[in-house]
Amino acid sequence: MSVAAYGRLRSKKRRDRTMNILTFVAVVFFALLAIFPIWWIFRTSLMSSAEIYRYPPALIPGNWLFSNYEKTLEVFKFWKYLWNTMLIIVPSCLAGTFTATLCGYAFARLRFRGKSLIWALCIGSMLLPAMVTLIPLYIGWTRGLGFSDSYWPLILPYFCGGGAFNIFLIRQFIMSIPRELDQAATIDGAGYFRILFSIIMPAIRPAMIVVALFIFIGLWNDLLQQMIYINSSEKYTIALGLTNFRGQLKSDWSLTMAATCLSFAPGVIFYLIGQRYFVEGITLTGLKN
Amino acid sequence: MEAVNKLRKRRSRIYSSEARVAYICLIPAFVGLIFLTYLPLLGVLGISLTNWTGLKSPEFIGIDNYIKIFTTDPYIKDSIIATIYFAFLSVAGSMIYSLFIALLLNRKIPARGFFRAVFYVPYVLPAVAIYVGWSWLYEGNFGFFNYLLSELGLNKILFIADSSYVIPSLSLISVWLAGNLIVIFLAGLQNVPGVYHEAAEMDGANGWQRFRHITLPCMTPIIFYNLLLSLIANLQVVTPALALTNGGPGNSSRFLTYLMYDQAFVNYRIGYASATTVIIFVILAVFTLVLFKTSNLWIYNEGGDDK
Amino acid sequence: MKTVKKLGVGLILTALTMSAVGCANNGGNTATPGSNAANTPASSKEEKVKIVYSMWGSASEGSATQAVADKFNASQDRIEVEVMAIPWENYMTKLNALATGGQLPDTGMLQEGGVIQWSAEGMLNDVSAMYEGSESKPLDSLAYKYEGKTVAYAAANEILLLYYNKDMFDEANVPYPPSALDQAWTWDEFVETAKKLTIDKNGKHPGEEGFDSQSIVQYGASVENLPWQLETWALSNGGGFYSEDGTEVRIGEDASIEAIQKVADLYLKDHVAPLSVGQTDDGIQRTIIAGTVAMATNGQWNIGTSLNTAKEEGLNYGVAVLPYMKDKVTLNTGGANVVFSQTKHPEEAMEWLKWYNSEENNWTLISSGIWMPTLDKWYKDETLTRKWVENPNFPPYDEYKSAVVDYAQSSAARPAAWFYTNYTSDFNTLLGSVLGDVWTGKTTAKDAITKNLDALKAAHAGNK
Repeated sequence: MSVAAYGRLRSKKRRDRTMNILTFVAVVFFALLAIFPIWWIFRTSLMSSAEIYRYPPALIPGNWLFSNYEKTLEVFKFWKYLWNTMLIIVPSCLAGTFTATLCGYAFARLRFRGKSLIWALCIGSMLLPAMVTLIPLYIGWTRGLGFSDSYWPLILPYFCGGGAFNIFLIRQFIMSIPRELDQAATIDGAGYFRILFSIIMPAIRPAMIVVALFIFIGLWNDLLQQMIYINSSEKYTIALGLTNFRGQLKSDWSLTMAATCLSFAPGVIFYLIGQRYFVEGITLTGLKN
Repeated sequence: MEAVNKLRKRRSRIYSSEARVAYICLIPAFVGLIFLTYLPLLGVLGISLTNWTGLKSPEFIGIDNYIKIFTTDPYIKDSIIATIYFAFLSVAGSMIYSLFIALLLNRKIPARGFFRAVFYVPYVLPAVAIYVGWSWLYEGNFGFFNYLLSELGLNKILFIADSSYVIPSLSLISVWLAGNLIVIFLAGLQNVPGVYHEAAEMDGANGWQRFRHITLPCMTPIIFYNLLLSLIANLQVVTPALALTNGGPGNSSRFLTYLMYDQAFVNYRIGYASATTVIIFVILAVFTLVLFKTSNLWIYNEGGDDK
Repeated sequence: MKTVKKLGVGLILTALTMSAVGCANNGGNTATPGSNAANTPASSKEEKVKIVYSMWGSASEGSATQAVADKFNASQDRIEVEVMAIPWENYMTKLNALATGGQLPDTGMLQEGGVIQWSAEGMLNDVSAMYEGSESKPLDSLAYKYEGKTVAYAAANEILLLYYNKDMFDEANVPYPPSALDQAWTWDEFVETAKKLTIDKNGKHPGEEGFDSQSIVQYGASVENLPWQLETWALSNGGGFYSEDGTEVRIGEDASIEAIQKVADLYLKDHVAPLSVGQTDDGIQRTIIAGTVAMATNGQWNIGTSLNTAKEEGLNYGVAVLPYMKDKVTLNTGGANVVFSQTKHPEEAMEWLKWYNSEENNWTLISSGIWMPTLDKWYKDETLTRKWVENPNFPPYDEYKSAVVDYAQSSAARPAAWFYTNYTSDFNTLLGSVLGDVWTGKTTAKDAITKNLDALKAAHAGNK
């Protein structure tokens, strides 16, 4: 190694270190900005209602009113709502992920008549805001199929492919798996379903976790549909329970925010568990056309 | 000759069994597309030709609703402008922000997992809380941001109470919410083959050049996916108006989907709201089409078409 | 990009092939079963008639009401009432969905702006007969009337008034606003007082040398500018939103426009009010409770919804009558209790409503200050008034009696427009949007309203 090259390497190392420090500073800076509104919500959850509106606004609550959380838990039946939410989310996640995988597989690997038409229809369905089909669907579920005050209208749609975005994601993943893998299996006499279950699914398991996470978060925050389909308060979900703090003309924001802080904990835990798979998932297989 | 026929026969048999499997796999999607998307969409199209209020029986009135929307509706023009303006700012902002943060998080920094979670959390939060929290920051007289401004001796900004600031203010929230884009970008960045970077570095390419000529081209498929995701989500924006601004001040944040919500659920004009819906659908379709059409101009493909 | 070309073709194809199905589907689905709501009196004695009553409120408010309903259920053996509580902000969305699905409850509350419209759509039963033969009736002003028929009674009485922070007045050494109607301030007196109470960072008041409107730390006054509350000022200035019978739109008149501009000028010219763009309804929290504003107008329900807690935490507030421009005006209102025409048991529904509407059964809401009674004996009979007002939730008896109880039955109290005219929510939405730039001074009330007068008239006529 020449002296010049050695020098270049050393200066590169030094440059890298400065860059890494700068990067870290920048990350911390942006992380503080990103976390600030969350802190704002949290500090509000510990304040009295008068303190929330006080000027100048306090960054840190005067008294840390953890009693707000006790009060919240009296009204906000966290465990019950969590259980109800899980009753919707667990079957939806399982069914949604599975059917999205089936559909994604068909679009990525199989040749059949009408493929591009069906694919186009699939893409087209992404263009419809959920609110648009709310009324026709509501009429269908209630008058047509007789579901009222039931979780089925919320769950059953996930037995139908889990949404076009998720099918799209799975398709992209499967396409990035080398075809040689399943061709080899075909020669060994494996059928298409065998290939799907024993080759494709293990390879895209991380991607399936991604889809499950998306479905989880989507359902977790989907107030509108839950509000329309669920009537009785015993069946309330986390999202519905949260709106319930606004009583008649009354809004107790510190309790609402305490409930909020409680309610997003499961979402974060889910993310932390899924994070490894989430990031690695896309990395392993690539999100390429 | 016979061999060829046999081969063809066999191929078509394979092909048909392949198709059969495909159709079986697609049964859930078929059911979903028919019953959850296109039949309801046709329902909406049908309702849009009536004066249905949701309460009493509808009457067929042809395309009157559409005529009204384009001639006398006091909101639609402002609404289209607000929606497109918001979508433009939010899509551009969140694409740049999330790519930038992903680039930062892709470097070797301590506590990477923690920081990833920090940027992702806003996406997990329930919408109601987010917007109420931000409304206190933005409040025009005594909000936190205005407190900072007045401490710095600057004039107050009314943020969401001022028709010229409301859209940028709401877009900022939507950029902040783009945690899912960051995670997808991050994964994409890790997928850029390291050998390319090493080779380029050997050739003396600097950081920007490597980003411009290696990272960016390799990322185009992911940029496309995120762009699509973000465009569709932001053109369908409704929550900030529902939770925060009620479409105001004036019509400056009366987004199309909010307009539709207001017509359908506040003023009981479901027929009319359905016509608005059809217009929303057409606008979204146009933008998506343009995105797909132009995508092959800039997507760097390692081979193979998009099928 | 074959996909994309096919997208369009695909859409058209499906639309064509399925349109027949879709249309047939619609026709079948949308027929409202208003006709099967025949007046069949339930005669079976063995089985109780089940009535569902919907209300807005939190889960705890729901269970409180259910407890009241249980008392009713125990008091007789024919009717069983079940309460369905729906969060306030989604209440009408939910009811609308229930209506399209033919799943409406038998009876329930309805937000003010929807009553006449639902009635016009044939969704509500005539309840004129409800109080036939009873000696105590709700105040006449609390009946929602459509085409001369009473379609609902308000569940409660509510009026607008002026709240003020006594400590701020004491500190500035300014007399309190009057709680008696005959001493009500004129608008100019109100603005002058507000100026004395507005202070910038350096302790200066508006109009003084060196006053900086950008660094105000305490505002003198805040007039709620939600569209429906603005009607008060239009009426007070001799104008109005509508003619008395609700057929004409009067907001284009100079008096109405001038009144709205005066409200906007509190912030723009007088520098006595914080900016408010009429987007949220937490006015009292943002002003009086936050301790940033000395006087604020709003409804009397705030006493029960937020001021009682603030009072415990040390807020020293008072109540007064509104100032006036030409005529002394306050609005009274109140969410409605209706019987839906989809019900199979209208008689039982009315029986429940009548029972429930008597004050004793709403006592929690009334004694907390959220609702005011609807029957006039509570206003006229002082022992009853004392029973209602003398509790720690309320401001001092004399003050409340004069500024709220007497005010509510005075000639100044007029029914809000939604008691007698249709499409008020369309009109208010549009008005709110039209005035958006007036509050920030980008345009004037005159320009904004004249430019949109035709649209406002069309909104009121129900065809925007």
